[in-house]
Amino acid sequence: MQKRGSIQSGLLTIVGGLVAFVALFPLIWVVIAGFKGKTEVLATPFRFFPKQWLTENYAEILGDPLFSRAMLVTFGGAVLFAVLTLLINSSAAYVFARLEFRFKKILWVYVIMTMFVPAMSILLTSFIVVNKLGMLDTLAVLVLPGIASAGQMFFIRQFYLNIPLALEEAALIDGAGRFRIFTSIFIPMSFPVFVIVGIGAYLGYWNSFVWPTMTITNPDLTQIMQYLYNFRSERGSEMGLLMAGTGLAAAPTLILFLIFQRYIIKGIKISGLK
Amino acid sequence: MFKRNFRQDNAMAYTMLLPILALLTIFVIIPFVYSLYVSFYNWSFYQESTFVGFRNYYLVLTDDVFGKSVWIGLKFTLMVVPCTLILSFLFANIIKNIGPKMGSFVKTAIYIPTIISGIVASVIFVFIYDYTGGLANYLLGLFGVEPKAWLADVGSALPSIAAPAVWLGFGITSLIMLAGLYDIPESYYEAAELEGAGAFKKMWYITIPLMRNIVLYLLVTGFTANISQYELSLVMTGGGPLDATTTPNLYIFNHFRNDVMVGNSIAASLLLFVVLGAISAIIFRVLNSEKAVDG
Repeated sequence: MQKRGSIQSGLLTIVGGLVAFVALFPLIWVVIAGFKGKTEVLATPFRFFPKQWLTENYAEILGDPLFSRAMLVTFGGAVLFAVLTLLINSSAAYVFARLEFRFKKILWVYVIMTMFVPAMSILLTSFIVVNKLGMLDTLAVLVLPGIASAGQMFFIRQFYLNIPLALEEAALIDGAGRFRIFTSIFIPMSFPVFVIVGIGAYLGYWNSFVWPTMTITNPDLTQIMQYLYNFRSERGSEMGLLMAGTGLAAAPTLILFLIFQRYIIKGIKISGLK
Repeated sequence: MFKRNFRQDNAMAYTMLLPILALLTIFVIIPFVYSLYVSFYNWSFYQESTFVGFRNYYLVLTDDVFGKSVWIGLKFTLMVVPCTLILSFLFANIIKNIGPKMGSFVKTAIYIPTIISGIVASVIFVFIYDYTGGLANYLLGLFGVEPKAWLADVGSALPSIAAPAVWLGFGITSLIMLAGLYDIPESYYEAAELEGAGAFKKMWYITIPLMRNIVLYLLVTGFTANISQYELSLVMTGGGPLDATTTPNLYIFNHFRNDVMVGNSIAASLLLFVVLGAISAIIFRVLNSEKAVDG
Protein backbone atom coordinates (compact mmCIF):
# COMPACT_ATOMS: atom_id res chain seq x y z
CA MET A 1 0.00 0.00 0.00
CA GLN A 2 2.75 2.38 1.07
CA LYS A 3 4.74 1.45 -1.98
CA ARG A 4 1.85 1.89 -4.37
CA GLY A 5 1.25 5.37 -2.96
CA SER A 6 4.81 6.45 -3.60
CA ILE A 7 4.86 5.10 -7.14
CA GLN A 8 1.62 6.94 -7.80
CA SER A 9 2.90 10.22 -6.42
CA GLY A 10 6.14 9.79 -8.34
CA LEU A 11 4.15 9.35 -11.55
CA LEU A 12 2.05 12.41 -10.79
CA THR A 13 5.19 14.45 -10.15
CA ILE A 14 6.54 13.40 -13.54
CA VAL A 15 3.27 14.32 -15.27
CA GLY A 16 3.25 17.65 -13.45
CA GLY A 17 6.80 18.37 -14.53
CA LEU A 18 5.99 17.43 -18.11
CA VAL A 19 3.00 19.76 -18.26
CA ALA A 20 5.05 22.58 -16.76
CA PHE A 21 7.68 21.91 -19.42
CA VAL A 22 5.12 21.95 -22.23
CA ALA A 23 3.65 25.19 -20.88
CA LEU A 24 7.03 26.90 -20.87
CA PHE A 25 8.33 25.28 -24.02
CA PRO A 26 7.18 27.79 -26.67
CA LEU A 27 8.75 30.62 -24.74
CA ILE A 28 11.99 28.76 -24.08
CA TRP A 29 12.19 27.76 -27.73
CA VAL A 30 11.92 31.34 -28.93
CA VAL A 31 14.48 32.60 -26.42
CA ILE A 32 16.95 29.88 -27.44
CA ALA A 33 16.28 30.36 -31.16
CA GLY A 34 17.21 34.01 -30.64
CA PHE A 35 20.77 32.83 -30.02
CA LYS A 36 21.03 31.27 -33.46
CA GLY A 37 22.90 32.84 -36.34
CA LYS A 38 20.83 34.83 -38.84
CA THR A 39 20.80 32.16 -41.49
CA GLU A 40 20.19 29.34 -39.06
CA VAL A 41 16.87 30.56 -37.64
CA LEU A 42 14.07 28.33 -38.96
CA ALA A 43 16.54 26.62 -41.30
CA THR A 44 16.00 23.01 -42.27
CA PRO A 45 16.74 20.48 -40.95
CA PHE A 46 15.18 21.52 -37.69
CA ARG A 47 17.54 21.96 -34.74
CA PHE A 48 16.44 22.92 -31.27
CA PHE A 49 19.76 24.28 -30.03
CA PRO A 50 21.91 26.63 -32.11
CA LYS A 51 25.02 25.22 -33.77
CA GLN A 52 26.86 28.02 -32.17
CA TRP A 53 25.54 30.27 -29.45
CA LEU A 54 25.64 33.78 -30.87
CA THR A 55 24.38 36.94 -29.24
CA GLU A 56 24.21 38.98 -32.44
CA ASN A 57 20.40 39.01 -32.58
CA TYR A 58 20.06 40.21 -29.02
CA ALA A 59 22.84 42.75 -29.44
CA GLU A 60 21.35 44.10 -32.64
CA ILE A 61 17.78 44.44 -31.37
CA LEU A 62 18.98 46.08 -28.17
CA GLY A 63 21.10 48.38 -30.30
CA ASP A 64 18.01 49.51 -32.20
CA PRO A 65 17.17 52.83 -30.52
CA LEU A 66 13.48 52.37 -31.37
CA PHE A 67 13.36 49.06 -29.56
CA SER A 68 15.12 50.14 -26.40
CA ARG A 69 13.11 53.35 -26.30
CA ALA A 70 9.87 51.40 -26.73
CA MET A 71 10.86 49.14 -23.83
CA LEU A 72 11.70 52.10 -21.57
CA VAL A 73 8.71 54.23 -22.50
CA THR A 74 6.33 51.31 -22.09
CA PHE A 75 7.85 50.35 -18.75
CA GLY A 76 7.59 53.91 -17.41
CA GLY A 77 4.04 54.24 -18.69
CA ALA A 78 3.05 50.90 -17.19
CA VAL A 79 4.40 51.83 -13.75
CA LEU A 80 2.61 55.18 -13.84
CA PHE A 81 -0.54 53.45 -15.03
CA ALA A 82 -0.39 50.93 -12.18
CA VAL A 83 0.19 53.60 -9.51
CA LEU A 84 -2.69 55.77 -10.73
CA THR A 85 -4.96 52.73 -11.02
CA LEU A 86 -4.30 51.89 -7.39
CA LEU A 87 -4.85 55.46 -6.17
CA ILE A 88 -8.09 56.14 -7.99
CA ASN A 89 -9.74 52.77 -7.53
CA SER A 90 -8.74 52.22 -3.93
CA SER A 91 -10.08 55.58 -2.80
CA ALA A 92 -13.37 54.86 -4.57
CA ALA A 93 -13.38 51.37 -3.09
CA TYR A 94 -12.93 52.79 0.38
CA VAL A 95 -15.73 55.30 -0.09
CA PHE A 96 -18.14 52.61 -1.28
CA ALA A 97 -17.07 50.18 1.45
CA ARG A 98 -17.26 52.53 4.43
CA LEU A 99 -18.79 55.95 3.89
CA GLU A 100 -22.46 56.88 3.89
CA PHE A 101 -23.52 59.67 1.53
CA ARG A 102 -26.39 60.82 -0.59
CA PHE A 103 -26.94 59.07 -3.92
CA LYS A 104 -24.61 56.22 -2.87
CA LYS A 105 -26.79 53.58 -4.55
CA ILE A 106 -27.14 55.51 -7.78
CA LEU A 107 -23.42 56.26 -8.01
CA TRP A 108 -22.61 52.61 -7.28
CA VAL A 109 -24.83 51.42 -10.09
CA TYR A 110 -23.39 54.10 -12.38
CA VAL A 111 -19.83 52.89 -11.74
CA ILE A 112 -20.60 49.17 -11.89
CA MET A 113 -22.54 49.58 -15.13
CA THR A 114 -19.32 50.48 -16.92
CA MET A 115 -18.01 46.96 -16.28
CA PHE A 116 -20.45 45.56 -18.80
CA VAL A 117 -19.47 47.79 -21.69
CA PRO A 118 -17.29 45.65 -23.98
CA ALA A 119 -14.17 47.39 -25.20
CA MET A 120 -15.00 46.80 -28.85
CA SER A 121 -18.29 48.68 -28.75
CA ILE A 122 -16.57 51.88 -27.61
CA LEU A 123 -13.23 51.49 -29.37
CA LEU A 124 -14.00 53.83 -32.23
CA THR A 125 -16.01 56.38 -30.26
CA SER A 126 -13.29 56.50 -27.57
CA PHE A 127 -10.89 57.35 -30.34
CA ILE A 128 -13.16 60.20 -31.43
CA VAL A 129 -13.38 61.46 -27.83
CA VAL A 130 -9.62 61.49 -27.25
CA ASN A 131 -9.14 63.07 -30.64
CA LYS A 132 -11.56 65.89 -29.74
CA LEU A 133 -9.71 66.35 -26.45
CA GLY A 134 -6.46 66.77 -28.38
CA MET A 135 -4.88 63.81 -26.60
CA LEU A 136 -3.57 61.88 -29.61
CA ASP A 137 0.14 61.12 -29.51
CA THR A 138 0.55 61.98 -25.85
CA LEU A 139 1.25 59.86 -22.81
CA ALA A 140 -2.18 60.89 -21.49
CA VAL A 141 -4.02 58.97 -24.21
CA LEU A 142 -2.24 55.79 -23.17
CA VAL A 143 -2.73 56.23 -19.43
CA LEU A 144 -5.92 58.15 -18.66
CA PRO A 145 -8.61 56.14 -20.47
CA GLY A 146 -7.82 52.90 -18.63
CA ILE A 147 -6.97 53.79 -15.05
CA ALA A 148 -10.50 54.07 -13.70
CA SER A 149 -11.79 50.52 -13.63
CA ALA A 150 -15.00 49.36 -12.01
CA GLY A 151 -13.70 45.80 -11.94
CA GLN A 152 -10.52 46.69 -10.04
CA MET A 153 -12.48 49.00 -7.75
CA PHE A 154 -14.94 46.21 -7.00
CA PHE A 155 -12.12 43.80 -6.26
CA ILE A 156 -10.45 46.20 -3.79
CA ARG A 157 -13.81 46.94 -2.17
CA GLN A 158 -14.41 43.23 -1.53
CA PHE A 159 -11.11 43.22 0.33
CA TYR A 160 -12.00 46.34 2.33
CA LEU A 161 -15.37 44.91 3.34
CA ASN A 162 -13.47 42.15 5.12
CA ILE A 163 -11.39 44.53 7.24
CA PRO A 164 -12.98 44.54 10.73
CA LEU A 165 -14.81 47.74 11.68
CA ALA A 166 -13.23 47.61 15.15
CA LEU A 167 -9.91 48.73 13.70
CA GLU A 168 -11.17 52.12 12.65
CA GLU A 169 -13.58 52.69 15.54
CA ALA A 170 -10.68 53.41 17.87
CA ALA A 171 -9.31 55.92 15.40
CA LEU A 172 -12.74 57.52 15.00
CA ILE A 173 -13.01 57.99 18.77
CA ASP A 174 -9.61 59.63 18.73
CA GLY A 175 -11.04 62.08 16.25
CA ALA A 176 -9.24 60.93 13.11
CA GLY A 177 -10.98 61.97 9.89
CA ARG A 178 -12.17 59.57 7.23
CA PHE A 179 -9.30 60.44 4.94
CA ARG A 180 -6.74 59.86 7.72
CA ILE A 181 -8.26 56.46 8.37
CA PHE A 182 -7.99 55.60 4.69
CA THR A 183 -4.34 56.62 4.41
CA SER A 184 -3.11 55.30 7.75
CA ILE A 185 -5.22 52.15 8.26
CA PHE A 186 -6.56 50.97 4.92
CA ILE A 187 -3.66 51.66 2.57
CA PRO A 188 -1.04 49.91 4.77
CA MET A 189 -3.32 46.89 5.05
CA SER A 190 -3.91 46.75 1.32
CA PHE A 191 -0.53 45.33 0.33
CA PRO A 192 -1.74 41.90 -0.85
CA VAL A 193 -4.63 43.28 -2.87
CA PHE A 194 -2.51 46.14 -4.23
CA VAL A 195 0.05 43.67 -5.54
CA ILE A 196 -2.62 41.82 -7.50
CA VAL A 197 -4.38 44.90 -8.84
CA GLY A 198 -1.10 46.70 -9.52
CA ILE A 199 0.40 43.80 -11.45
CA GLY A 200 -2.85 43.32 -13.32
CA ALA A 201 -2.84 46.99 -14.34
CA TYR A 202 0.83 46.85 -15.24
CA LEU A 203 0.24 43.80 -17.45
CA GLY A 204 -2.79 45.35 -19.09
CA TYR A 205 -0.71 48.37 -20.08
CA TRP A 206 2.40 46.46 -21.09
CA ASN A 207 0.46 44.01 -23.24
CA SER A 208 -1.90 46.51 -24.83
CA PHE A 209 -1.59 46.79 -28.54
CA VAL A 210 -4.72 47.86 -30.37
CA TRP A 211 -5.21 51.14 -28.51
CA PRO A 212 -1.59 52.34 -28.91
CA THR A 213 -1.71 51.37 -32.57
CA MET A 214 -4.74 53.60 -33.05
CA THR A 215 -3.61 56.59 -31.02
CA ILE A 216 0.20 56.77 -31.23
CA THR A 217 2.16 57.61 -34.35
CA ASN A 218 5.04 59.44 -32.68
CA PRO A 219 8.06 57.07 -32.67
CA ASP A 220 9.16 58.47 -29.30
CA LEU A 221 6.01 57.06 -27.71
CA THR A 222 5.76 53.77 -29.62
CA GLN A 223 4.75 51.00 -27.23
CA ILE A 224 6.55 47.69 -27.14
CA MET A 225 3.73 45.49 -28.47
CA GLN A 226 3.13 48.01 -31.21
CA TYR A 227 6.84 47.84 -32.04
CA LEU A 228 6.73 44.04 -32.26
CA TYR A 229 3.65 44.10 -34.49
CA ASN A 230 5.17 46.71 -36.78
CA PHE A 231 8.43 44.80 -36.87
CA ARG A 232 6.61 41.64 -37.89
CA SER A 233 4.74 43.37 -40.70
CA GLU A 234 7.66 45.46 -41.96
CA ARG A 235 10.75 43.35 -41.31
CA GLY A 236 9.16 39.93 -40.91
CA SER A 237 11.99 38.23 -42.78
CA GLU A 238 14.51 39.11 -40.06
CA MET A 239 13.28 36.33 -37.90
CA GLY A 240 16.25 36.05 -35.58
CA LEU A 241 15.79 39.67 -34.56
CA LEU A 242 12.06 39.23 -34.13
CA MET A 243 12.60 36.19 -31.91
CA ALA A 244 15.14 38.00 -29.78
CA GLY A 245 12.84 41.02 -29.51
CA THR A 246 9.87 38.85 -28.58
CA GLY A 247 11.85 37.14 -25.83
CA LEU A 248 13.10 40.45 -24.48
CA ALA A 249 9.62 41.99 -24.59
CA ALA A 250 8.37 39.20 -22.34
CA ALA A 251 11.29 39.55 -19.92
CA PRO A 252 10.20 42.49 -17.69
CA THR A 253 6.81 40.86 -17.18
CA LEU A 254 8.41 37.57 -16.23
CA ILE A 255 10.79 39.17 -13.75
CA LEU A 256 7.99 41.10 -12.10
CA PHE A 257 5.87 37.98 -11.94
CA LEU A 258 8.64 35.90 -10.39
CA ILE A 259 9.18 38.54 -7.68
CA PHE A 260 5.50 38.67 -6.73
CA GLN A 261 4.33 35.19 -7.71
CA ARG A 262 3.50 34.18 -4.14
CA TYR A 263 0.97 36.99 -3.79
CA ILE A 264 -0.45 36.54 -7.25
CA ILE A 265 -1.12 32.84 -6.88
CA LYS A 266 -2.61 33.41 -3.45
CA GLY A 267 -4.62 36.25 -4.97
CA ILE A 268 -6.48 33.83 -7.18
CA LYS A 269 -7.95 32.44 -3.99
CA ILE A 270 -9.17 35.78 -2.68
CA SER A 271 -10.40 37.09 -5.99
CA GLY A 272 -13.96 36.50 -4.92
CA LEU A 273 -14.14 32.98 -6.30
CA LYS A 274 -14.59 30.47 -3.63
CA MET B 1 -21.72 52.18 18.12
CA PHE B 2 -21.06 55.85 17.91
CA LYS B 3 -23.21 58.33 16.16
CA ARG B 4 -20.29 59.39 14.05
CA ASN B 5 -20.37 56.12 12.17
CA PHE B 6 -23.79 56.95 10.84
CA ARG B 7 -23.09 60.51 9.90
CA GLN B 8 -23.08 61.22 6.22
CA ASP B 9 -19.75 62.29 4.81
CA ASN B 10 -21.00 63.81 1.59
CA ALA B 11 -18.13 66.19 0.97
CA MET B 12 -15.41 63.63 1.63
CA ALA B 13 -17.17 60.93 -0.35
CA TYR B 14 -17.68 63.10 -3.43
CA THR B 15 -14.10 64.38 -3.34
CA MET B 16 -12.68 60.88 -3.23
CA LEU B 17 -15.08 59.62 -5.91
CA LEU B 18 -14.52 62.52 -8.26
CA PRO B 19 -11.57 61.02 -10.20
CA ILE B 20 -13.21 57.67 -10.90
CA LEU B 21 -16.54 59.27 -11.82
CA ALA B 22 -14.95 61.83 -14.12
CA LEU B 23 -12.73 59.30 -15.90
CA LEU B 24 -15.45 56.69 -16.33
CA THR B 25 -17.82 59.34 -17.67
CA ILE B 26 -15.33 60.68 -20.21
CA PHE B 27 -13.82 57.41 -21.36
CA VAL B 28 -16.66 54.89 -21.01
CA ILE B 29 -20.09 56.47 -20.65
CA ILE B 30 -19.73 59.21 -23.24
CA PRO B 31 -18.20 56.91 -25.88
CA PHE B 32 -20.91 54.37 -25.18
CA VAL B 33 -23.76 56.84 -25.51
CA TYR B 34 -22.06 58.16 -28.61
CA SER B 35 -21.88 54.62 -30.03
CA LEU B 36 -25.59 54.17 -29.39
CA TYR B 37 -26.26 57.41 -31.22
CA VAL B 38 -24.03 56.57 -34.16
CA SER B 39 -25.65 53.17 -34.57
CA PHE B 40 -28.85 54.90 -35.68
CA TYR B 41 -27.11 57.12 -38.20
CA ASN B 42 -25.54 56.75 -41.55
CA TRP B 43 -22.38 58.22 -40.19
CA SER B 44 -18.95 58.79 -41.65
CA PHE B 45 -15.79 60.73 -40.99
CA TYR B 46 -16.20 62.80 -44.08
CA GLN B 47 -19.80 63.81 -44.50
CA GLU B 48 -22.97 64.95 -42.78
CA SER B 49 -24.67 62.07 -41.00
CA THR B 50 -28.28 61.14 -41.59
CA PHE B 51 -30.72 59.36 -39.31
CA VAL B 52 -31.52 55.89 -40.58
CA GLY B 53 -33.30 54.28 -37.62
CA PHE B 54 -32.70 50.57 -37.25
CA ARG B 55 -31.32 50.19 -40.75
CA ASN B 56 -27.75 49.57 -39.53
CA TYR B 57 -28.98 46.78 -37.28
CA TYR B 58 -31.01 45.33 -40.09
CA LEU B 59 -27.99 45.40 -42.41
CA VAL B 60 -25.80 43.71 -39.83
CA LEU B 61 -28.29 40.97 -39.07
CA THR B 62 -28.73 40.22 -42.74
CA ASP B 63 -25.03 40.48 -43.59
CA ASP B 64 -23.76 37.00 -44.43
CA VAL B 65 -20.17 37.96 -43.65
CA PHE B 66 -21.09 39.01 -40.13
CA GLY B 67 -23.18 35.88 -39.66
CA LYS B 68 -20.24 33.81 -40.80
CA SER B 69 -17.92 35.61 -38.38
CA VAL B 70 -20.28 34.85 -35.49
CA TRP B 71 -20.28 31.22 -36.54
CA ILE B 72 -16.46 31.25 -36.67
CA GLY B 73 -16.34 32.88 -33.25
CA LEU B 74 -18.59 30.13 -31.89
CA LYS B 75 -16.50 27.38 -33.47
CA PHE B 76 -13.35 28.95 -32.05
CA THR B 77 -14.94 29.15 -28.60
CA LEU B 78 -16.10 25.54 -28.84
CA MET B 79 -12.55 24.47 -29.62
CA VAL B 80 -10.92 26.51 -26.86
CA VAL B 81 -13.24 26.44 -23.86
CA PRO B 82 -14.00 22.70 -23.41
CA CYS B 83 -10.39 21.83 -24.16
CA THR B 84 -9.07 24.34 -21.60
CA LEU B 85 -11.58 23.27 -18.94
CA ILE B 86 -10.95 19.55 -19.26
CA LEU B 87 -7.17 19.91 -19.31
CA SER B 88 -7.29 22.33 -16.38
CA PHE B 89 -9.54 20.09 -14.32
CA LEU B 90 -7.31 17.07 -14.78
CA PHE B 91 -4.21 19.08 -14.17
CA ALA B 92 -5.54 20.83 -11.05
CA ASN B 93 -6.17 17.38 -9.57
CA ILE B 94 -2.59 16.40 -10.36
CA ILE B 95 -1.10 19.53 -8.76
CA LYS B 96 -3.17 18.94 -5.65
CA ASN B 97 -1.61 15.52 -5.20
CA ILE B 98 2.05 16.31 -5.77
CA GLY B 99 4.48 17.57 -3.15
CA PRO B 100 4.35 21.23 -2.12
CA LYS B 101 7.81 22.08 -3.54
CA MET B 102 7.17 20.62 -6.97
CA GLY B 103 3.61 21.90 -6.77
CA SER B 104 4.64 25.52 -6.39
CA PHE B 105 7.15 25.22 -9.23
CA VAL B 106 4.49 23.76 -11.50
CA LYS B 107 1.98 26.45 -10.52
CA THR B 108 4.44 29.20 -11.40
CA ALA B 109 5.39 27.54 -14.67
CA ILE B 110 1.86 27.09 -15.97
CA TYR B 111 0.85 30.60 -14.94
CA ILE B 112 3.57 32.19 -17.05
CA PRO B 113 1.75 31.85 -20.42
CA THR B 114 -1.21 33.72 -18.88
CA ILE B 115 0.85 36.86 -18.31
CA ILE B 116 2.34 36.77 -21.80
CA SER B 117 0.61 39.11 -24.20
CA GLY B 118 -1.49 37.98 -27.14
CA ILE B 119 1.02 39.61 -29.47
CA VAL B 120 4.00 37.73 -28.04
CA ALA B 121 2.02 34.48 -28.13
CA SER B 122 0.99 35.13 -31.72
CA VAL B 123 4.54 35.79 -32.85
CA ILE B 124 5.79 32.66 -31.07
CA PHE B 125 3.10 30.49 -32.65
CA VAL B 126 3.70 31.94 -36.10
CA PHE B 127 7.24 30.62 -35.74
CA ILE B 128 5.99 27.29 -34.46
CA TYR B 129 3.75 26.96 -37.54
CA ASP B 130 6.47 28.06 -39.96
CA TYR B 131 6.36 25.81 -43.02
CA THR B 132 10.02 24.96 -43.36
CA GLY B 133 11.68 25.47 -39.98
CA GLY B 134 8.76 25.43 -37.55
CA LEU B 135 8.37 23.10 -34.64
CA ALA B 136 4.93 21.80 -35.64
CA ASN B 137 6.05 20.46 -38.99
CA TYR B 138 9.21 19.04 -37.42
CA LEU B 139 7.09 17.05 -34.97
CA LEU B 140 4.85 15.84 -37.82
CA GLY B 141 7.98 14.90 -39.72
CA LEU B 142 9.07 12.63 -36.88
CA PHE B 143 5.98 10.55 -37.60
CA GLY B 144 6.62 10.67 -41.31
CA VAL B 145 3.73 13.05 -42.03
CA GLU B 146 4.05 15.62 -44.79
CA PRO B 147 4.51 19.23 -43.61
CA LYS B 148 1.37 21.36 -43.48
CA ALA B 149 0.79 25.05 -44.18
CA TRP B 150 -1.00 25.43 -40.85
CA LEU B 151 -2.13 29.01 -41.07
CA ALA B 152 -2.69 29.16 -44.81
CA ASP B 153 -5.03 26.20 -45.06
CA VAL B 154 -8.74 26.92 -44.63
CA GLY B 155 -9.25 23.70 -42.67
CA SER B 156 -6.41 24.05 -40.19
CA ALA B 157 -6.20 27.83 -39.69
CA LEU B 158 -8.84 28.12 -36.98
CA PRO B 159 -7.60 25.19 -34.85
CA SER B 160 -4.09 26.57 -35.26
CA ILE B 161 -5.26 29.81 -33.69
CA ALA B 162 -7.19 27.98 -31.00
CA ALA B 163 -3.98 26.30 -29.77
CA PRO B 164 -2.30 29.51 -28.54
CA ALA B 165 -5.62 30.55 -26.97
CA VAL B 166 -5.61 27.35 -24.93
CA TRP B 167 -1.97 27.95 -24.10
CA LEU B 168 -2.75 31.47 -22.86
CA GLY B 169 -5.77 30.49 -20.76
CA PHE B 170 -4.81 27.10 -19.42
CA GLY B 171 -2.67 28.25 -16.47
CA ILE B 172 -5.06 30.65 -14.82
CA THR B 173 -7.97 28.25 -15.32
CA SER B 174 -6.03 25.44 -13.62
CA LEU B 175 -5.15 27.66 -10.69
CA ILE B 176 -8.76 28.75 -10.21
CA MET B 177 -9.82 25.10 -10.32
CA LEU B 178 -7.09 24.27 -7.83
CA ALA B 179 -8.33 26.95 -5.43
CA GLY B 180 -11.75 25.33 -5.72
CA LEU B 181 -10.34 21.87 -5.03
CA TYR B 182 -8.60 23.10 -1.88
CA ASP B 183 -11.93 24.42 -0.62
CA ILE B 184 -13.48 20.97 -0.58
CA PRO B 185 -13.06 19.73 3.01
CA GLU B 186 -10.70 16.75 3.25
CA SER B 187 -13.17 15.10 5.66
CA TYR B 188 -15.59 14.43 2.80
CA TYR B 189 -12.99 12.29 1.09
CA GLU B 190 -12.06 10.55 4.33
CA ALA B 191 -15.67 9.69 5.00
CA ALA B 192 -16.03 8.36 1.45
CA GLU B 193 -12.90 6.29 1.88
CA LEU B 194 -14.31 4.70 5.04
CA GLU B 195 -17.33 3.74 3.02
CA GLY B 196 -14.99 2.10 0.53
CA ALA B 197 -15.27 4.57 -2.35
CA GLY B 198 -12.52 4.43 -4.96
CA ALA B 199 -10.79 7.34 -6.68
CA PHE B 200 -13.33 7.43 -9.49
CA LYS B 201 -16.35 7.44 -7.17
CA LYS B 202 -14.82 10.19 -5.04
CA MET B 203 -14.28 12.28 -8.16
CA TRP B 204 -17.80 11.63 -9.49
CA TYR B 205 -19.78 12.05 -6.26
CA ILE B 206 -17.72 14.65 -4.35
CA THR B 207 -15.31 16.63 -6.52
CA ILE B 208 -17.42 17.24 -9.60
CA PRO B 209 -20.66 18.27 -7.83
CA LEU B 210 -18.81 20.61 -5.47
CA MET B 211 -16.90 22.21 -8.32
CA ARG B 212 -20.06 22.99 -10.25
CA ASN B 213 -20.12 26.69 -9.48
CA ILE B 214 -16.50 27.21 -10.39
CA VAL B 215 -16.87 25.28 -13.62
CA LEU B 216 -19.95 27.34 -14.44
CA TYR B 217 -18.08 30.55 -13.75
CA LEU B 218 -15.12 29.47 -15.89
CA LEU B 219 -17.43 28.32 -18.64
CA VAL B 220 -19.17 31.66 -18.88
CA THR B 221 -16.06 33.84 -18.51
CA GLY B 222 -14.23 31.59 -20.97
CA PHE B 223 -17.10 31.92 -23.42
CA THR B 224 -17.23 35.73 -23.27
CA ALA B 225 -13.43 36.08 -23.40
CA ASN B 226 -12.98 33.76 -26.36
CA ILE B 227 -15.88 34.91 -28.46
CA SER B 228 -14.38 38.42 -28.21
CA GLN B 229 -10.90 37.22 -29.18
CA TYR B 230 -9.40 38.98 -32.19
CA GLU B 231 -5.77 39.80 -31.42
CA LEU B 232 -4.59 36.29 -32.25
CA SER B 233 -6.20 36.21 -35.67
CA LEU B 234 -5.28 39.82 -36.36
CA VAL B 235 -1.57 39.10 -35.90
CA MET B 236 -1.35 35.51 -37.05
CA THR B 237 -3.54 35.45 -40.15
CA GLY B 238 -5.18 38.84 -40.50
CA GLY B 239 -8.50 36.99 -40.59
CA GLY B 240 -7.68 34.79 -43.57
CA PRO B 241 -7.46 32.48 -45.40
CA LEU B 242 -10.83 33.28 -47.01
CA ASP B 243 -12.08 34.82 -43.74
CA ALA B 244 -11.70 31.44 -42.03
CA THR B 245 -10.34 33.11 -38.88
CA THR B 246 -12.38 36.33 -38.94
CA THR B 247 -14.00 36.36 -35.51
CA PRO B 248 -16.86 38.82 -34.86
CA ASN B 249 -14.61 41.38 -33.21
CA LEU B 250 -12.07 41.16 -36.01
CA TYR B 251 -14.89 41.74 -38.49
CA ILE B 252 -15.87 44.86 -36.56
CA PHE B 253 -12.29 46.01 -36.17
CA ASN B 254 -11.54 45.57 -39.88
CA HIS B 255 -14.60 47.62 -40.73
CA PHE B 256 -13.42 50.42 -38.47
CA ARG B 257 -10.16 50.49 -40.34
CA ASN B 258 -11.40 50.13 -43.88
CA ASP B 259 -14.88 51.53 -44.20
CA VAL B 260 -16.03 55.02 -44.72
CA MET B 261 -19.37 54.18 -43.13
CA VAL B 262 -18.98 52.93 -39.59
CA GLY B 263 -22.52 53.05 -38.23
CA ASN B 264 -22.80 49.50 -39.46
CA SER B 265 -19.93 48.03 -37.50
CA ILE B 266 -20.86 49.97 -34.40
CA ALA B 267 -24.32 48.48 -34.63
CA ALA B 268 -22.67 45.05 -34.87
CA SER B 269 -20.58 45.70 -31.77
CA LEU B 270 -23.66 46.83 -29.86
CA LEU B 271 -25.55 43.71 -30.82
CA LEU B 272 -22.69 41.63 -29.44
CA PHE B 273 -22.72 43.87 -26.40
CA VAL B 274 -26.32 43.02 -25.65
CA VAL B 275 -25.51 39.31 -25.58
CA LEU B 276 -22.15 39.49 -23.81
CA GLY B 277 -23.23 42.23 -21.40
CA ALA B 278 -26.26 40.19 -20.39
CA ILE B 279 -24.11 37.14 -19.78
CA SER B 280 -21.58 38.97 -17.64
CA ALA B 281 -24.33 40.79 -15.73
CA ILE B 282 -25.75 37.40 -14.80
CA ILE B 283 -22.39 36.10 -13.55
CA PHE B 284 -21.85 39.27 -11.62
CA ARG B 285 -25.20 38.95 -9.89
CA VAL B 286 -24.55 35.35 -8.97
CA LEU B 287 -21.10 36.05 -7.56
CA ASN B 288 -22.12 39.22 -5.82
CA SER B 289 -25.10 37.66 -4.07
CA GLU B 290 -22.96 34.78 -2.82
CA LYS B 291 -20.54 37.27 -1.35
CA ALA B 292 -23.34 39.13 0.37
CA VAL B 293 -24.44 35.95 2.09
CA ASP B 294 -21.13 35.31 3.80
CA GLY B 295 -19.96 38.82 4.26
